[in-house]
Amino acid sequence: MFYIQESTCISSQSTFLNKINLLEYQVPEGNKFSVKEPSYEDIPEKILRRMGKAVRLGVGAAMPLIAGSGNPDGIIIGTANGGMEDCIKFLNQIIEYKEGLLTPTNFVQSTANAVAGQVGMLLKNNGYNITHVHRGHSFENAMLDAAMHLAQYPDARLLLGAVDEISAYNYNIDLLAGWYKTTAINPAEIYKSDKPGSYPGEGSAMFIVDNKKQQGSVRIDALKTITSNDPQLVRHRFHEFITLNNLQNDPPGLYLSGENGDSRMMHFYEACETQIEKVPVARFKHISGEFATASAIGLWLSAEILRSQEVPVHMWKHQQPNPMATQRHPLHKILIYNNHKALQHSFMLCSIDL
Amino acid sequence: MIMETEDLKLQVKKQIVQFLNLMTVKPEDIKDDEPLFGEGLGLDSIDSIELIVLLSREYGITIQDPKEGRKILVDVNTMVGYIEKHRTK
Amino acid sequence: MVTGLGIISAIGNSVNENREALINGFCGISTLENFPSRFSGVLPCGEIKISTEELKQKLAATQPGVTRTDLLCLHAFRQAIEDAGLTTEEIESPDTAFINGNTVGGMCLTDELYHDANKHEQGSEYLGSYDCSSVTLSIQAQYKMQGPASTINTACSSSANAIMFGARLIQNGFAKRAIVGGVDSLAKFTLNGFNSLHILSPALCKPFDKDRQGLNLGEGAAFLILEKEEDAAGKNIHARLSGYSNTNDAYHPSSLSPAGDGPYLAMKIALESAGLLPQEIDFINTHGTGTENNDEVESKAMIRIFEIIPTFSSTKSNIGHTLGAAGAIEAVYSILNLKHQEIYPSLNFNEPQADTGLVPVREYKQVHLKHIMSNSFGFGGNCSSLIFSKV
Repeated sequence: MFYIQESTCISSQSTFLNKINLLEYQVPEGNKFSVKEPSYEDIPEKILRRMGKAVRLGVGAAMPLIAGSGNPDGIIIGTANGGMEDCIKFLNQIIEYKEGLLTPTNFVQSTANAVAGQVGMLLKNNGYNITHVHRGHSFENAMLDAAMHLAQYPDARLLLGAVDEISAYNYNIDLLAGWYKTTAINPAEIYKSDKPGSYPGEGSAMFIVDNKKQQGSVRIDALKTITSNDPQLVRHRFHEFITLNNLQNDPPGLYLSGENGDSRMMHFYEACETQIEKVPVARFKHISGEFATASAIGLWLSAEILRSQEVPVHMWKHQQPNPMATQRHPLHKILIYNNHKALQHSFMLCSIDL
Repeated sequence: MIMETEDLKLQVKKQIVQFLNLMTVKPEDIKDDEPLFGEGLGLDSIDSIELIVLLSREYGITIQDPKEGRKILVDVNTMVGYIEKHRTK
Repeated sequence: MVTGLGIISAIGNSVNENREALINGFCGISTLENFPSRFSGVLPCGEIKISTEELKQKLAATQPGVTRTDLLCLHAFRQAIEDAGLTTEEIESPDTAFINGNTVGGMCLTDELYHDANKHEQGSEYLGSYDCSSVTLSIQAQYKMQGPASTINTACSSSANAIMFGARLIQNGFAKRAIVGGVDSLAKFTLNGFNSLHILSPALCKPFDKDRQGLNLGEGAAFLILEKEEDAAGKNIHARLSGYSNTNDAYHPSSLSPAGDGPYLAMKIALESAGLLPQEIDFINTHGTGTENNDEVESKAMIRIFEIIPTFSSTKSNIGHTLGAAGAIEAVYSILNLKHQEIYPSLNFNEPQADTGLVPVREYKQVHLKHIMSNSFGFGGNCSSLIFSKV
């Protein structure tokens, strides 16, 4: 499909620029995987002052990436709720001031394409610019969009990414809908829960993608999305994905699971995991939390693992006889399965030539 | 209580910084005759609308047309002059 | 190939009704009635004069969590699939894509959203209905759709981009057919939002007129069925989507650059993608919102690209600016132009802008039309251009 050349990630962990440290994780405060925002040196203050958190996270992750690799030919972003915080701030103004004189900044920043639009504006980038907002498939659709663009324009280079924030308002809505646990987070215990609910996360992952195979570039080999609440259908589609990509004969070195501690999701994760029994399993939501575009964090982590050839010990699902085994047995390929709210599922296959 | 012009100027500067979230600007550093738009503070069209809302909420002044607003919002001097004449709060 | 159309707007609940209204220069912009607002009876809006309750009954969609946006979407979606004669098997097929442009989602429910966002007691039935994707997901569920699906929000160009994305899915072999379009319903949120920017007109909008005072908001939905040429044989083909593009103006979050770089590039690249020269465009359905900024910039961009400006109009003068639905609704109108070889009057125009002098078409005419361009320019500088051709 295409190659990831560079990537950045802002999350609740140390994942940004020269502070990347995946070997140890930080325990979040309270019951949310909240981001400690960096200082956004690449965003002019006049623009930064207006941005809501989702826009800051998205633009903040994108700008240093572009500083390194130049103006892309297009900007493709996925976000489920980007801008929602500003939407509701504006809504609160409507109620508070009874539709009287209102300040427009919240409204202007509330459009979901604020991230893609602001990056375009900062770079004076006239290229293709799109925002997919399809909840748990927002990032996957952005990936598909990028793949199609790169198929049509083989020399193009694109900024592809995703972002979502835990806004007070969205958190409240999803909490009322029963999506979250409210106990304090203990990352080591998350997966042992037999109760419904997960822990919310937030963050952004940005990638420079193109068709050039280079030293260190991570290839996206395959992507499949499914919308279903039927574990049997998901099992069936996973089987098809495995067959189509010849994974029975050439299995991945790692299976990265989006398991999140919500007991209601487990039959999906089990349905898939039983089909790749011999492949070691790792998990990531004990460090990212759950949110609609968390699969972008999963992909970023996979790219880091493939480049560094190191799987952080805390990510393994089962104790490994030699957790650093990958140093002797090169890890070429990672298969990621994620689902969001037990409805939107995705399989991704990525690899590196060593 | 009628506020002294100099005190009102400082209050308005603080309000501008706070309302427009000018994160690195200190109110006391804004000169009274420094242009708010273009050169100087470098505000834009959305800021001019925000300042019109500020005038309404803090001083009870209604300005219907943003273009009229730009004539008043030249610098702190003109803003304060207008507030002193037209405030209802 | 476009093999199906469905639409609902302030000037009609079907393709034929919309066409009749366009021919007669009917203006569907009136005052707000459907929900209580400070602006009811004050601001002109392209409101669909059917209450949400009535829509629920008509469409037999009374399950909890259904919003007005869902209902308008369902109405147009059903018309389109019926028009194209899609079978249940085809709709459910993993080969059928569904791409929906939307900006409001369930935020038309201001009070419920305020409660659910701020209070800690029991949530309303709409907890899962607020985001834009909820509209798409609910149709996917209702129709058991298994193909690729996405929701696009790029403000006013959303459904134009949805049409493009669906076309590309077919071209790249990810789908055999695509149901594409968009929807938006009137909401206190958008009314107040645009009002806070001082770009709503207190009177009927006057696209391209020198005395224009802003836009009127509208609501509606439209969907097109796109199929590959070889699969469309034997079907009633409405038109061909022969070119498209998306660019970014990259100037300001809520206004276009003075020279209109984004709009200019969008039109230029759309022409290139269709393999057409500017002089081959017979008619333009402009973005034409009636705001000072858009109409001036759009005019300048058209002058930059067309040596002789083609005949053009703004159908927003009939129905207002339907935001996420605009691209798709205007695509349907452009296709009607082509099918029936006619153009409809642009309304409320008296005098051209002094510096550009452009005049939209002001009367119904039957003309020879081969290629039509439809433009949509949105917040964040998002500019999209679609070209439809006669078959």
